[in-house]
Amino acid sequence: MIKMKMLDNKKEKNQRFLHCNFFPKNRRGDKILSIYWFAVLVIVAGGIFAMVYIFYGAPYDVRETEANLFINKVADCVSYAGRLNTNLISGGKFNQTFSSNFLGECHFIFGSSEWEEEQYYTEINFYKPEDSNNPVFSINAGNNKWGRYCPIQEKKEEEKLTKCVRKSFYSLDELNNQYIIKILAVVAKTKKNAKM
Amino acid sequence: MKKRGLKPTIFLMKNRRGVILVENIIFIILNILFIIILSLFLFRQGNGAVILEQSYAKNIAFLIDSAKPIMEIKLNMEDALNLAEKNGISRDDIVKISGNLVIVKLGEKSSYQYSFFNNVDATAYPDIYPEKNYIIKISGYK
Repeated sequence: MIKMKMLDNKKEKNQRFLHCNFFPKNRRGDKILSIYWFAVLVIVAGGIFAMVYIFYGAPYDVRETEANLFINKVADCVSYAGRLNTNLISGGKFNQTFSSNFLGECHFIFGSSEWEEEQYYTEINFYKPEDSNNPVFSINAGNNKWGRYCPIQEKKEEEKLTKCVRKSFYSLDELNNQYIIKILAVVAKTKKNAKM
Repeated sequence: MKKRGLKPTIFLMKNRRGVILVENIIFIILNILFIIILSLFLFRQGNGAVILEQSYAKNIAFLIDSAKPIMEIKLNMEDALNLAEKNGISRDDIVKISGNLVIVKLGEKSSYQYSFFNNVDATAYPDIYPEKNYIIKISGYK
């Protein structure tokens, strides 16, 4: 009997040591809210809060979609329904005025009160099918600074700076001369789309 | 005689059965409460003004970017309209287009703006019926 009582006392002592005594009078609560249970709650809740913070803390990166929209608009402007814009090329000769007034001709606005500098850049190169390395005509518009980031987008940090999209297609001028058109569209807007 | 195998669990102890049942119920209730609180937290985060403002501003900017003159776009903004009403923001003040900036405001102190590149004259106003829509009208090129 004495041995049994001693064992019980030892068990009780162990329980007191292992359990956090939140409610001294309520032994049932004492059992449930053990320190381990509380630790598990904190770990799970902390993990979920951290995941939510990371997920919702970063802005939606929509630049790739925006660059695709941009490239489609540029393509529609220089060539529509498979024919090059007559303001751009007439009689087999490219019009330099179109290039210098590209934003007005294509109804683009690159500046905004939201940003100190322009956040877009586009490069359009026209090639003859027989020589696809040397362009016969080029148009550049926007902030050239962003275009320089495209070839060095190997590291993750640099990938966040800009989104570059490339597209190429064939088109005909009014004399049925064939041209390969290669377009590069770049959207920066880093602060609004990436967590740096 | 030495007992072999697994020790009988606390569930099988006859004199303590009632106590254990209550403990289990409390444990389950606490677990359910914990899951509910976390789910509510997740739901509130996903439908918060800051997240909705950002997604609608970007969405509208892209709609304008891909639009052509004389287009009228109807956008379902039911959740944004409900949230704005809850926060005391007028239906007419939710979406504003200033220059080439789309500004979405769903909270007293918050707003989000995003620019578009299509140089068009765009206006945004709430639809009369159904009330959950917002209309984005592209009048022409600037």
